[in-house]
Amino acid sequence: MADPALKSQVQELIRDNKVLLFMKGVPDAPRCGFSMRVVGVLEQLGVEYGAIDVLPALQPLREVTAELSDWQTFPQLYVNGELVGGADIVEEMFDSGELAEMMGVAQPEEAELPEPERILPGGSQQSPPMQIG
Amino acid sequence: MAADLEEIRSLIAAALPGAEVEIVDEGGGDHLRAIVAAPQFAGRSRIDQHRMVKSAVQHRMDDGSIHALSISASVL
Repeated sequence: MADPALKSQVQELIRDNKVLLFMKGVPDAPRCGFSMRVVGVLEQLGVEYGAIDVLPALQPLREVTAELSDWQTFPQLYVNGELVGGADIVEEMFDSGELAEMMGVAQPEEAELPEPERILPGGSQQSPPMQIG
Repeated sequence: MAADLEEIRSLIAAALPGAEVEIVDEGGGDHLRAIVAAPQFAGRSRIDQHRMVKSAVQHRMDDGSIHALSISASVL
């Protein structure tokens, strides 16, 4: 059963941010490859967005989003109060132009899907540190 | 304990009769991709299609056998 205070905080955040990303880590330093991919898409779209690092309260936040959105994995991108999806869906919709349209911005001319980087549990990376942003 | 690809495939296939299901290991045995074409996806949003796939294997996500599941869903 999700913590009611946390649940209402989350509902408020979703309501108050046109674009809201629940991610592992922060946009300047994502802690998972999937989160990094979503940040990369948002950067290409050039939209303002709120970002919440779920790592400090991972299990409680999973419980909240399971109740609110029937979805428990992160990253989760919310646009206009609704869950769009995780990295797969965000990339598909970015590629097709649907995401830009949903956000009311122009589709970038050279839409680029970021290379998926494997980030191993514990934070170490197989490839050299990547530049973000 | 990494998930057994065939078990995952058959859990999804059982939840979506008539679907074509392929599971690919994207690294380490616990990052998987499910490629699912299912008639049940017709008219559903992407997020709903993904929910249908995820719910078939939720217990394997909960017990840690699958660390990450990517989904490619299409209508069959």
